Amino acid sequence: MKPFPMHLLHLVFCGLLGIGLAQAGDFEDALKAVLKEKLKGKENPQALATPPQQPVKPTAPAQPTAPTPPAEKPKDQLLKALLQGKTSPEEEVRIGQQIAGNLLGAAPLVRDETLQRYVNRVGLWVALQSERPGLPWRFGVIDSDDINAFAAPGGYIFVTKGLYRRLNNEAELAGVLAHEVGHVIRRHHLKLLQKSQAIAAVGSLFGSKVSSEDQLIQNIIGNGAEVVARGLDKDAEYEADRIGVVLTARAGYDVYALPAVLADIGHVAKGDKRVSLLFKTHPHPEERLGRLAEAVGDLLDNVPEGQSVASRFYRLR
Amino acid sequence: MNRKLLVLLLGLVPFPVGAAPGTLIKDEDLKSSPSATAAKVASVAKGSSVDVLAREGGWTQIRVGGRTGWVRILSVRSSVGATGAGDLAALTSRREGQVVAVAGLRGLSEEELKSARFNAQELALMDRYKVDQTEATGFARAAGLTARQVAYLPDPKPTSSSGGTGNNVWEFGQ
Repeated sequence: MKPFPMHLLHLVFCGLLGIGLAQAGDFEDALKAVLKEKLKGKENPQALATPPQQPVKPTAPAQPTAPTPPAEKPKDQLLKALLQGKTSPEEEVRIGQQIAGNLLGAAPLVRDETLQRYVNRVGLWVALQSERPGLPWRFGVIDSDDINAFAAPGGYIFVTKGLYRRLNNEAELAGVLAHEVGHVIRRHHLKLLQKSQAIAAVGSLFGSKVSSEDQLIQNIIGNGAEVVARGLDKDAEYEADRIGVVLTARAGYDVYALPAVLADIGHVAKGDKRVSLLFKTHPHPEERLGRLAEAVGDLLDNVPEGQSVASRFYRLR
Repeated sequence: MNRKLLVLLLGLVPFPVGAAPGTLIKDEDLKSSPSATAAKVASVAKGSSVDVLAREGGWTQIRVGGRTGWVRILSVRSSVGATGAGDLAALTSRREGQVVAVAGLRGLSEEELKSARFNAQELALMDRYKVDQTEATGFARAAGLTARQVAYLPDPKPTSSSGGTGNNVWEFGQ
């Protein structure tokens, strides 16, 4: 292997100093070029021989316990895949698993099997209407009074008890889940991680040695479940709203169920602590409704009346 | 048409939001109650200035030209919401006062999320509740739900400079 060229080292050093200016596109591009170069040098010859896209086994149950690194996926390859925007579904699930496990460390599942099964049945039906029906979709209601919902890559979706209690029917639940499905199918969190990753990767590649893939993933996602506290950009939220309405409609539910939930959340006072995180990470519901209205226009006028399915909606005490 | 009578009947509202100004963004039928099967009170033209009176489910109650009735929630752009994303700060302060980033209640403050530790037991439990496609489809069918063809909605305001996606091939690759 060639010695690492001095001018590249210099660039990396400047990169570390320039973290505050991380939004500058030129800088990111330069950094990525350096990383790409470096990764090429480190590439495992065996990894090169295997095709980049492993055959997908969507319904195969993922490891239920703490993620363990598959031997044939060197950690450099995962990092490289993320930086290049080419993660396989398995890699997505591995990253999502870590985020989901951490989030569950902050708020465990509500101890109500009927509720959890119900949410999985509704959620999967909605996810099946998307272009990624084969992901190992999992849904859960977590024990928190906060009013919020979360998604993690690979198909992990959470609704808080606080939000669930505000819902009036199954269509509204479907609408909330559909918004989160939208984040997953458009890989919004992966894109966020990819962005922040360019800088973090410098440390893990050239500085401290990362011993395991677990640790690498934890490095990628930051501390605990902070990635869900950081939030996505507004455009990602508007996009998830548009997808949410469409998936709700495709599933046969009331098209206006998600907007109804947004309107309801908009009525919660800003100072209410239960919406602090939601309002910090999302545009105001009124703004989201306005954007949705513009996007929908008359495009859904011909969709037949959907169902609310209020009768079998599982009420949480 | 019994317009006057209907106006009188429509006085009671479940979610009073005051009378916020708004604009109708498409031609609409004004309905006597928040339901697709409710009687039509009048037709309202796109661009009409309306007062937003209340919301219920996917419906908004409006007053326009002396008439009151219900339209689809997405048919009205409230003027508050029309200020654009850039004015969100102004919007929030005008509407509900200062936004204070108070730490959330139980378990989901930023700090608690940051310090959260991986919980393998809960993750395993979540796996146990997972259902398969047959079960989900059967459950939907039991409620009379059927899949429908609906195209994705294009972004009405695409912003190329949002910088939200970075360089990647997820969309364009396999």
